Amino acid sequence: MFSVKPLKPTFKCYLPPVQTDVKRSIEPPIKKLEPKLLQGEIVVNEVNFVRKCISAESSQDDLWGKLICTNFKVSFIPQDAPPKQKSRLSHLLLGEHDVPLTCLEQVVTVNDTKGKKKVLGSNQKLKFNPTELILYCKDLRIIRFCFDEAGPESAKKVCLAIAHYSHPADLQLLFGFEYQGRRYHESKGERINGSTPRGGLQTPIFDRPSDWDREIKRTGASEWRVCSINEGYAISQSLPEYIVVPVSLADQDLKQHSLSFTDQRIPLWCWNHQNGSALVRMANLSDPLQQRKTDQRFLAAITKSHPQRSEVFRSDLDKCLPNIQDIQNAFVKVRQSCVIDPFEESEERWLSSIENSRWLEYVRAFLKHSAEIVYHLDGKNSSVVLQEEEDRDLSCVVSSLVQLMLDPHYRSLIGFQSLVQKEWVMAGHRFLDRCNHLKKNDKEESPLFMLFLDCVWQIMNQYPAAFEFTEAYLTLLSDSMWIPLFSTFLFNSPKQRAQHLMDFAKNKAIPQGEDQVVYFPPVWNWSQQFSTKDQTLFNNPMYVGKGAACVQNGEVKTFRRTKQKTYSSTLRGTSASVRNGMRGGEETLPRRGSLVSELRPDFSPVKDESPSERFFRDWFSRPADQQGLLIPLLMPSHMALWKLYFLRWVPEACIPRGGPITAYHKLSQLVDEIEILQSQLRQYKGPSPGSTPLPSPSGPPSDQRRMYFKAGSPNDPPTPPDFLTSSFPFTPVGNLCRRGIHGTPISKFLNEARIWLSTETLANDTV
Amino acid sequence: MSWCVLNHLSSLTCVENVRLLDRSSGQRKASTGTLYLSATHTIFVENNPETRKETWVLHSMVNSVERPPTIPAGSQLILHCKDFRVYQILIPQERDCLDVHTSLVRLSRPGKYSELYCLSFNPNVNKEDREESWNFIDLMTDYKRMGVPNNLWVATAANSEYRVCDTYPSELFVPKSATPAIIVGSSRFRSRGRFPALSYFHQDTLAAVCRCSQPLSGFSGRCQEDEMMLQAVMKSNPGSDFIYVVDTRPKLNAMANRAAGKGYENEDHYTNIKLQFIGIENIHVMRSSQQKIIDVGEMRSPSMTDFLWGLENSGWLKHIKAILDAGVFIARAVADEGVSVLVHCSDGWDRTAQACSVASILLNPFYRTIKGLMVLIERDWVSFGHKFSHRYAHLDGDPKEVSPVIDQFLECVWQLSEQFPCAFEFNERFLVAIHTHVYSCHFGTFLGNCQKERRDMRLRERSHSVWPQLWKDRAEYTNPLYKAELSQTQGVLRPNTTPYCFKMWKGLYNHMEKSTPPRQSPADFLSAVREESQQLEEELTNHQEVPPGGTAHHHLGSRQGIQHTKTPPVMTPL
Repeated sequence: MFSVKPLKPTFKCYLPPVQTDVKRSIEPPIKKLEPKLLQGEIVVNEVNFVRKCISAESSQDDLWGKLICTNFKVSFIPQDAPPKQKSRLSHLLLGEHDVPLTCLEQVVTVNDTKGKKKVLGSNQKLKFNPTELILYCKDLRIIRFCFDEAGPESAKKVCLAIAHYSHPADLQLLFGFEYQGRRYHESKGERINGSTPRGGLQTPIFDRPSDWDREIKRTGASEWRVCSINEGYAISQSLPEYIVVPVSLADQDLKQHSLSFTDQRIPLWCWNHQNGSALVRMANLSDPLQQRKTDQRFLAAITKSHPQRSEVFRSDLDKCLPNIQDIQNAFVKVRQSCVIDPFEESEERWLSSIENSRWLEYVRAFLKHSAEIVYHLDGKNSSVVLQEEEDRDLSCVVSSLVQLMLDPHYRSLIGFQSLVQKEWVMAGHRFLDRCNHLKKNDKEESPLFMLFLDCVWQIMNQYPAAFEFTEAYLTLLSDSMWIPLFSTFLFNSPKQRAQHLMDFAKNKAIPQGEDQVVYFPPVWNWSQQFSTKDQTLFNNPMYVGKGAACVQNGEVKTFRRTKQKTYSSTLRGTSASVRNGMRGGEETLPRRGSLVSELRPDFSPVKDESPSERFFRDWFSRPADQQGLLIPLLMPSHMALWKLYFLRWVPEACIPRGGPITAYHKLSQLVDEIEILQSQLRQYKGPSPGSTPLPSPSGPPSDQRRMYFKAGSPNDPPTPPDFLTSSFPFTPVGNLCRRGIHGTPISKFLNEARIWLSTETLANDTV
Repeated sequence: MSWCVLNHLSSLTCVENVRLLDRSSGQRKASTGTLYLSATHTIFVENNPETRKETWVLHSMVNSVERPPTIPAGSQLILHCKDFRVYQILIPQERDCLDVHTSLVRLSRPGKYSELYCLSFNPNVNKEDREESWNFIDLMTDYKRMGVPNNLWVATAANSEYRVCDTYPSELFVPKSATPAIIVGSSRFRSRGRFPALSYFHQDTLAAVCRCSQPLSGFSGRCQEDEMMLQAVMKSNPGSDFIYVVDTRPKLNAMANRAAGKGYENEDHYTNIKLQFIGIENIHVMRSSQQKIIDVGEMRSPSMTDFLWGLENSGWLKHIKAILDAGVFIARAVADEGVSVLVHCSDGWDRTAQACSVASILLNPFYRTIKGLMVLIERDWVSFGHKFSHRYAHLDGDPKEVSPVIDQFLECVWQLSEQFPCAFEFNERFLVAIHTHVYSCHFGTFLGNCQKERRDMRLRERSHSVWPQLWKDRAEYTNPLYKAELSQTQGVLRPNTTPYCFKMWKGLYNHMEKSTPPRQSPADFLSAVREESQQLEEELTNHQEVPPGGTAHHHLGSRQGIQHTKTPPVMTPL
């Protein structure tokens, strides 16, 4: 599409971007450029006089400085640091120009003059002196360094070091193992003073029976119990130590039957509906002899744990969803269209290239399948077993999506984190292999977690008030996968985690009995990465959680969403109002999801409608309760590309002072204002029991305020700050230098050809 | 209300046991009821005694009536409406169906203006109110607001009584140095006499947007007065020594026009102009492109592939981009370079209206308000002779004249509001409402093809203006994210026109979307928050009036929300 371009001269010729007169001359570095290093981080190699490309268009904004490879990251230290861009979150562990080695997807060296290019792996030789280094990152950045003024040998050495250190031979060589050991010992003093359980972490980890017990109680799963037969990983290598099973199955039975399952993974309880139906996931049965018997035994037990003893619905995910390789291929393609292909090319066929990747199709397939499982649990009141070969990939996506739709608890921040912990980390999703942190086996790589986050975003996009967290949170969570400092994404199973962390503790002289969460924290401890103020970007001002919107010390006051206005569609709007108020039934306007629309609406009798279709139709015809069941609309027109994630680095996609963030800005300010007013009200009303009135009349102190954007004083202009762009809190500046096709003869030819072709209707224009 | 139409329908005032399916709202189950045909509406009343739901379809909203093959249950009719709704009707007797079909085809394609609804529609307002309604939007006030007339731009009486150009308004602004002789001379050298006139004056830079039609230059024709006219436009901008002439057509189309004695300005003949082609396709391309995107919106259960390919192959978003690009070019020239722009296409009433009005939206925050958009449409479309009745098929006429020109303008505004959610005072519903009324012939505002025609029809005496009606309902059309002060700094909008930033306007083309409860949107959430905020502030004020700790009187809940105002009901006889 968009093939019709204005004939040359184009807009650009007449209206060039504002020129800055400052021509940067190459100055030799005078001051010493020192990298900021973390505990245990060491410089491996470095080179001076490196030019970092800032924009693909011209080199006038390029930065000069030093390129450094450490055992943790690639770091660039600009000589004249430009004033810090406000548009960037300040990451506590990484600088603006840093990339963790684990985040590198591909290290490419180029020699322009010789026309040579090489993708570097570990321990490789390079036969030419690179003039350029291009880093393709897993968070979709593309960063380019030029060595035109740098010492050729040092440049080469740095490139080789980066390639080498980004392919660690062993898991223990990931920097987290060095860093967390040092950090543990160095911050010991602080911890003893204010020691709170698990370092103050509120997210349950599900590594001990009490976390599971609480979940059983919360969901009212009285017919299920915590079982500890896998303590010490005695039964299964990939299950957590504590699992939840039907009360009717004794430990002895479980042990006996476990042998029939792949990796002895006995069926695993996930969640209970308040109607008593349970969501269970299981691996395939590996032992054909025992298959039938074991299968029946478990189904019977699951049935028995249901109050109505209703039939169990089984869903074989391998049969109805794309496999991990399909998903990987789709991701590679969508990434290609978004960031790698030259803009001039992708622009032409943007929609079809997205279609061609099949990414959105897969996102939709997972959402759709999950919605169908929801129907069985909620609409049919039956327990569901998700079955997958190993129960460690597709099941993770589906079971977490199902719970997210059914249980509002998981749409809160802590709830969401506990869901990931329960259905991904503890259920044994192979994060190490799927992320390919060691770059050993590309075939195992697959962005399942990313696919899950995209699905969450789709629901969030349709129900913006239903989640406590924002899309910025989801994006930062996905970025955290590529920082090897948190225990969450480093291991293939709880057992592997336990073993490695035990060895780690021994090696680093960490006292026995110390909590893992304390000496090797998960990603959920966000203060590792961001300041309290920056973490407020996670908060969704629209969230209407259980009184969450306006709760602060003491008094709980929920929003009165007073009028649920029904807006008539516009034909019926004004024209109806003069039609004697006899409107065409606006009160019964149904919402429609594709689940319903799959059926051809016609005059055939309604009996064709299947029960599940009726279930969805009924649900969509009622107003959605943000704190109840949520089902996403699934027509293709409802699926959208997650722009913040896929296009945040793309300069061509960036809207200065525009995009959804401007609405977020305005809403945050308003909510902040409400909270200040409420706090003032409380003071006027006098202290309420259990809370002390705040002394200042200006509301809660700014570090306690929940909103990233604060309500200004009446004198402040309420304008969005200049740094707000649709990419916020990220910036395309210097983060996406992709290959252009400017000036290639073939592209010129194609462009001209297109213009000729587009004028087929010429004759009609000349009347 | 004229009864004659009803009379010649004689036996066919109503058909019983009809089944109706509102396909576009996602209705699955047909409802049974009685179908009535009035002079102005098709009315369906459900049999269900509890609801007795009524569906009214204005005849002028019906685009086509399809009659698929008869099925055992009866004969079918499918009504495709101009607002992209689709109604499916099942009539037991084939004979009745044929009669309904014949009548509907006739009624939905009136031959003369007098058959249109706005000339029979008679809301409960008196004569003074009706006359007042026509003064609701006053273009002279708008020109005054932009600082015109001044020492650069003056009103001209040249076109009074439409003497020079019958499709132009009688009141126009031209460069101060343009004498009547220059105006008349220039108009003779322009298609349909549409000489360069002021559309928008930008006070910050003193640059202007002017509009006209193509010159009758052929391969070598010249006209001294026209050259002087362009020179005058340039001279009316003290800050610049050239002007841009934007030909919004693809260059090849413009070149082809030269063979017919028309074409574009020769840069050698006109001193100090820079010619720029934009490449907006003609009305025929747009018509067929829109049909394709309508089809995408109507797909029943499309796959991801069907949808994305359908959208891309329709080319629709590409055309929207071209129009927005034209607006961006003009806005940048005027605001950033301070250079005046003269815009034309062939006749200067379709693509030119699009490009000029998009540029105004980008340049001036006023046009992003509810009132401002009304003014803008009244100026660049209604007064400058956009052929509403031809383009939107108000009367039975040449189907090749029909094209969704203003649909595209409204969509450009919508796409902009998606990029800048806080920059517009109105919401999507307002744009859809305007779209509906452009087609509905419910009000006199959009009737006819130019000001002269409307005057000759005495529309101001015989019909009503749509704008006061929309203004009355403005609470429903307000975007709560908008804040007036914002507009001062967001003076000029700088949208992104790469394909990443265009999406299908589901609110218009995919009616299923419309029926999704709108409170899901941040904007509707905000309306609630704002209400709450005001409540709290009031409460706080009450507390502040008494010493802290003292008993304050609470006034919670005393505020009422936005009131829905409705006009008094009017009966339409069946």
